[in-house]
Amino acid sequence: MSVLDELVSGAVEDAKTREARVSLDQVREQAAQAPAPIDAIRWLRRADAVPVIAEIKRASPSKGHLADIPDPAALARDYESGGASAISCLTEGRRFLGSLDDFDRVRAAVHIPLLRKDFIATDYQVWESRAHGADMVLLIVAALDDDRLGHLIDLTHELGMVALVETHTREEIARARRAGAKVIGINARNLKDLSVDVDKYRELAGDLPDDVIRVAESGVFGAVEVEDYARAGADAVLVGEGVATADDHTLAVRRLVAAGERVKASETTPLSRHEGPYFGRFGGRYVPEALITALDELERVYEEAKADPAFHQELMTLQQRYVGRPSPLTEAPRFAARIGEKVGITPRVFLKREDLNHTGAHKINNALGQALLVKRMGKTRVIAETGAGQHGVATATVCAMLGLKCRIYMGQIDARRQALNVARMRMLGAEVVEVTLGDRILKDAINEALRDWVTNVKDTHYLLGTVAGPHPFPSMVRDFQKIIGEEAAEQLRDWYGIDHPDAVCACVGGGSNAIGVMNAFLDDPRVRLYGYEAGGKGPASGRHAVRFAPGTGQLGMFQGAKSYVLENSEGQTLDTYSISAGLDYASVGPEHAWLKEIGRVTYDWATDEEAMDAFRDLSQTEGIIPAIESSHALAGAYKAAADLKERGYEHPVMIVNVSGRGDKDMATAGKWFGYLTDEQAAALDVTGAHGSQVA
Amino acid sequence: MNTNEHTETPVQPLGFNHRDSPCETMFRRLDAEGRPAFIGYLPYGFPDPDASLDALHTMVGHGVDAVEIGLPYSDPVMDGPVIQAASQIALGAGERIAGVFRAVEAVAEAGGVPLVMSYWNLVFHYGVERFARDFANAGGAGLITPDLIPDEAGEWIEASDRHGLDRVFLVSPDSADDRLATVARDSRGFVYAAARMGVTGERSTLSASPEQLVARTRQAGARRVCVGIGVSTAEQAAKVGAYADGVIVGSALVHTLLADDGRSPRDTAEGLRLLAAKSDELAAGVRAARSR
Repeated sequence: MSVLDELVSGAVEDAKTREARVSLDQVREQAAQAPAPIDAIRWLRRADAVPVIAEIKRASPSKGHLADIPDPAALARDYESGGASAISCLTEGRRFLGSLDDFDRVRAAVHIPLLRKDFIATDYQVWESRAHGADMVLLIVAALDDDRLGHLIDLTHELGMVALVETHTREEIARARRAGAKVIGINARNLKDLSVDVDKYRELAGDLPDDVIRVAESGVFGAVEVEDYARAGADAVLVGEGVATADDHTLAVRRLVAAGERVKASETTPLSRHEGPYFGRFGGRYVPEALITALDELERVYEEAKADPAFHQELMTLQQRYVGRPSPLTEAPRFAARIGEKVGITPRVFLKREDLNHTGAHKINNALGQALLVKRMGKTRVIAETGAGQHGVATATVCAMLGLKCRIYMGQIDARRQALNVARMRMLGAEVVEVTLGDRILKDAINEALRDWVTNVKDTHYLLGTVAGPHPFPSMVRDFQKIIGEEAAEQLRDWYGIDHPDAVCACVGGGSNAIGVMNAFLDDPRVRLYGYEAGGKGPASGRHAVRFAPGTGQLGMFQGAKSYVLENSEGQTLDTYSISAGLDYASVGPEHAWLKEIGRVTYDWATDEEAMDAFRDLSQTEGIIPAIESSHALAGAYKAAADLKERGYEHPVMIVNVSGRGDKDMATAGKWFGYLTDEQAAALDVTGAHGSQVA
Repeated sequence: MNTNEHTETPVQPLGFNHRDSPCETMFRRLDAEGRPAFIGYLPYGFPDPDASLDALHTMVGHGVDAVEIGLPYSDPVMDGPVIQAASQIALGAGERIAGVFRAVEAVAEAGGVPLVMSYWNLVFHYGVERFARDFANAGGAGLITPDLIPDEAGEWIEASDRHGLDRVFLVSPDSADDRLATVARDSRGFVYAAARMGVTGERSTLSASPEQLVARTRQAGARRVCVGIGVSTAEQAAKVGAYADGVIVGSALVHTLLADDGRSPRDTAEGLRLLAAKSDELAAGVRAARSR
């Protein structure tokens, strides 16, 4: 006899003993007089939460003694005040040490749905449950044949209760569905280590129709399992030991509820209006506590500004009169023809001309927005990091315009390859600090800026330049950059009479220009989105900044957010490399990580060589010299065109975001293409105005 | 209900470990002695893996009650130049995370309370549950997480609950009361109060703010509050120890093992001698804290 058979026959025997004292008719009468059942269905599925069914359990055959629980009513009240959506009360007495007396005490204590958990196999037990005020009963598929299961589910529903129908396998789920189950409990433990097996859960729960509520029924202990199950599609979770044996029962339930709310909030749509802190599994705030006050303040001030028409008015006026927005959408027929020759289709290519903004790149959009927030916060000092120098120049520019004190951190290697931008920042009155720690590139500049911020957070704003870092930066920077895509969509319609593009291409370092041009199209499935990372000398070379290709980035926390990170087997950040300083970053904005995971954006890379070829192609076909960063998007356009061809497009309409202009890159390009002699190139290196060393 | 015979197996995941907080046990012992705890920091693997074990022994032998064994990280945003340099030296000398458990054992053997301080990505990458298990098996007491706030710590709270490890989160002088309450509620062992805004490093003077912060953190519900960041002399240790449950010293100890250029390790024997002297000096300060 299996354990289950034993438990069922024991429970039925005990029920018979009770029936000898209180007959079925009497129990029916009690049921008729019991308070009406609560509609548990409404409690078990919510758009903004993963309802927690918290269990009162003293022992189990597999784990033995768990908790004494002298006062089940008090425990139930703790669960309820922690935010439990329902209570499960064991009434089996032989192995689980529960009783109907426990159940009655719990029923009198709480006003949320109450599940009777027992080994129910007879009508008497169902009637008895209702008589004691149950709103739900447990039915175990493995313990019942099809007829009995169907009959007991029907009876449960007739009495206004809901059956939680427990299953372990695909076959049992199919039986439960045929029997009319509305709430199905699925047990998906990995038998090897008893961890939650999300893939198994997905496989089991995956093809259930939407009107069935999926309860994750076993192995839920803490926030990790709640998150895993919720991401695998569970509507609700049932938790026993994880709450019953906790030191603080209320806190334990509250943590589970918070974890569920977080998962739901992290997956809201429409994508274009999704808000942080979480983008799917990514994002958050992995920062010292010392920064939380500043981040909270920034979030609050930004929310207020967002709701204030005067803020938008001021920003828009500056965008038009100072930055020169809207930036044009330029058709590039000769460049398109070159793609056509190479790929064998005839695309129409439109360039979004962020290179024509004041300061020569998209970075000013965000710098301006944040600088206006600095004024609203009453802070007087701005710090920023820069890689290629574009964000540093944009920040120095807006600080000059608004009279803010400005310090820019720049890795020493970047400062050398972007000497002219260092000089520009100084010209604009900014202090430039060359960072000689770590790998001396963008990430090290960010580290140093974070250290400065932690120290001077009272009067200082860190004007982060991309959609990375801790919340609210990824959402906020996106909001300041999304004007790129919004303009492009409108210009495509108004200037060219084209309803929508077939594809949008952008380069992805941290990812702000890409998010900016893509945001307006995220919820339009007709538009294919392509992001191109810095391939350096190719992913196999180890000399690159590709985070998304197989075998490159791994899930981790870096500089404030959870995302993909280039790191070694120890979790130490890897040295990255790209010919373009602006894409040379070990991590990537959390929204991109999410868009990759859900398959909305296709990510690929362009090598140094491919990018420089595209740099030359655009210069010579259209008379537009792009930044080397943007050249990765242009190189990507060839790859995107090839992909579109494969998908059957013959005349695709493509938008490529030219995020910046290439004047700053002429020394690099001159060397690359041999327009400068070695002597001239060396002279340019030497005359570079370098920042002062950091101590 | 784990009733299906196919899913039954004798192996069960760990439940809550209800052992006493190792740090609380230490504080009670020191309460009886009428003094605060002296908590010293040193990165594991600095100046090299073996020498760092000697250094940890030295610290415990010279009055350090609990050791924060640092895990060197490539991007330590909460650390100033001294600890940055030590971390880089350790990484260059071949530090590996798996080795830190030897250091934990070494501290425990020497009679100290072994804590680990780590930037979160390292623990996450190693595997949170795996780290908690290996750390607890080595005799570890708890983990200090400078860039992990309680709001993001779900997995760690769960793992530490299962393994009975202390969780030390930080507060800083500008933390609002609701943040102090959150940190106090989710911490176990003690709360780490940063004496000032900023990164680790020695300071000649400490402001009055840490005392207020300790008082506010206690009001917010923390039972034990220790103060670190900037404490580097016996006098400062005595001053801080008068109101805090523990005095945390990092850079001043690490400094003794660094050469004068601040970028390379000092001769090991010489370094250990200086480390012992500095530990003695600070321990004297800590021991005098409540007798003045």
